[in-house]
Amino acid sequence: MADIVVDVWLYGALAKYGGDAAGPAHANLKVILPEGSTMSDLLERIGVPTEERGITFISGNLSAMPGLQPDLGHVLKDGDRVGIFDPRSMWPFQYRHGAAMIPEMSRAINEAEDLGLHHAYKEP
Amino acid sequence: MWILRLNMSDLSYRLEEVPAKYQHLGGRGLTSTIVHDEVPPLCHPLGPNNKLVFAPGIVTGTPAPTSARVSVGAKSPLTGGIKESNAGSSWAQHVANMQIKAIVVEGQAKGYHLAHLTWDAASGKPKVEFMPANEYAGKDLYEVFPKLYAKFGDKVSIAGTGNAGEFGYGNSGIVFNDMAGRPSRYSGRGGMGAVMASRGLKFIIADPKGAPGVVIKDKALFDEGRKKLIDALRTHDITKPKGGLNTYGTAVLINIMNEAGGLPTRNFASGRFEGAAKIAGEAIFEGNKKRLGKELYNHACSPGCIIQCSNTWHKADGSEHVSCIEYESDWSLGANCGIDDLDDIGELVRLCNAYGLDTIEAGTTLAVAMEAGIIKFGDGKGAINLMHEMGKGTPLGRILGGGTAFAGKAFGLTRVPTVKGQSMPAYEPRAVKGIGITYATSTMGADHTSGYTIAPEILGVSGKVDPLSPEGKAALSRAFQATTAFIDSTGHCLFIAFAILDIASGFEGMMEECNGVLGTNWKSEDAAKLGAEILKKERAFNEAAGIGKEADRMPEFMKYEPLPPHNVVWDLPDSALDSVYGEL
Repeated sequence: MADIVVDVWLYGALAKYGGDAAGPAHANLKVILPEGSTMSDLLERIGVPTEERGITFISGNLSAMPGLQPDLGHVLKDGDRVGIFDPRSMWPFQYRHGAAMIPEMSRAINEAEDLGLHHAYKEP
Repeated sequence: MWILRLNMSDLSYRLEEVPAKYQHLGGRGLTSTIVHDEVPPLCHPLGPNNKLVFAPGIVTGTPAPTSARVSVGAKSPLTGGIKESNAGSSWAQHVANMQIKAIVVEGQAKGYHLAHLTWDAASGKPKVEFMPANEYAGKDLYEVFPKLYAKFGDKVSIAGTGNAGEFGYGNSGIVFNDMAGRPSRYSGRGGMGAVMASRGLKFIIADPKGAPGVVIKDKALFDEGRKKLIDALRTHDITKPKGGLNTYGTAVLINIMNEAGGLPTRNFASGRFEGAAKIAGEAIFEGNKKRLGKELYNHACSPGCIIQCSNTWHKADGSEHVSCIEYESDWSLGANCGIDDLDDIGELVRLCNAYGLDTIEAGTTLAVAMEAGIIKFGDGKGAINLMHEMGKGTPLGRILGGGTAFAGKAFGLTRVPTVKGQSMPAYEPRAVKGIGITYATSTMGADHTSGYTIAPEILGVSGKVDPLSPEGKAALSRAFQATTAFIDSTGHCLFIAFAILDIASGFEGMMEECNGVLGTNWKSEDAAKLGAEILKKERAFNEAAGIGKEADRMPEFMKYEPLPPHNVVWDLPDSALDSVYGEL
């Protein structure tokens, strides 16, 4: 089976999981994974506990918010850019309403009672 | 409570009792109502018939948290329509504590004057003394502010205008002091600085000594509301001490918008900037840590703020360079100009503060100049030189000072990101369509602060309409704009929205604070109705000024230039835009 290369950006406190690529404010690393690998596989490879991540993007598409992570089974493609933020980051609704999402996130938001209006999917 | 009128034509002043119809208004609600009631919509913004109105919010001056906001209103030389631009400063509290609900600046003086506002204990009223201020004209505000403090004492607060206002630029803000006495807090948008300077008014110095404070009609109710709001702000992840805003500042959004493909880059040619991580809030925090040898959390722009989101950037030797690099400034003078050097961005922000320019409009104008080939994208030093041209009023500087739309015409460009003459802030509407509806339809021109998500009940407004459909987005934008107009009237900073959206008792607390001060009986659901009344007045003024629904449109290039990386165009139908105010 062929491998895929994913362009991973870890921001803020998550930069510490960047290994040799870890900078003070962010880390940018290329991660090689077997074809068919999921977001969950990626997190396991780079050692980021999923509960430590907040807003997440896959190639410009919103894939997770704090407390709402429908992307764990999302199959990554070669060349995907994955951006993972620490939970202190934010993206207010008025600045994300209508932005691109992975299909799993679109479904999760549509099924959510608040339609994704809030900042986090946990008790504030 | 008083309405204070400054007549600049004969340098006199008058105190009026607040008319019954204005008694429950404050902040934006009051500035927009007075402009609507008193300013001829077709007057020249810099001519004798425009008026400049300052109004602290309803709870400003009380111990309500994060509430030292002042609204500034007039007919705008940038948009030709009504303008409300607000800022946080001790000046707002000082004016409110003198029991002044609004200051209305009328007429025009020869030369520049300042108004020294004090509390006259003998008469139990505010008092104004006019003084010549020509000596402060044409000067760097960082040079002038210490002279004003030396003359009037370090307890005073300052509102004023810089060189940009004196030149009559469409890009000219009104400056207020921050807590360290820096000229760094701005009612930046819409050319309010030029309206002030064209009255012949350079500064209003407020000395709060002896001022009696704001009357609170129901103290127990106010205290109850205040406690609820404080609890919400102190517990929410974004607004709490060492939370998102206190740690990374608003610039935490740089990397988010970049990953989303919605960070306007190089004059809105792309939604992604390769240098984003180098200029983001995380980089500011870590950069300061390296240069200072310790972590530096952000500070309050004004007394009584719990959120404390204002950062300070430091030079390589650890000395202070500038406060504050907000997200919008960081983006406009950084990514949108292709500049990835925080020291250059810091200097550009400092020069905006020094000359009295709005950082958003300045950056979007520099990017248009770069597009025109005046300097290259990414040329930080060239951008600094152009900023000096604006501040000195050279012929090129005056073209740039006119703002983004004006410069775009001068250079013969089509990619000019403005609505109603005001440039777009840092969220690409092709990538985030919801904010695009607000940019297109706001009474203020393109404005990112005119449609905040404040109350979850707002979801009810779209009824059975899919909130992701064009009609659903329009309904939400309408509700966002209305509740935002209300918050802008309370005197609270809009950033309380993060906490009160998620914590319902915080929202109740805000309403109880207002009811406590005014003696009203507003319920949470009244916020949107009260805000809608403000929007109706603003809209009526604009329509009478010739700015109707035809002006509620996105710039045409966004309809045919796909934006990388998503390669999307602006494709929402005009009918959705028309429904925002059509169904208000």
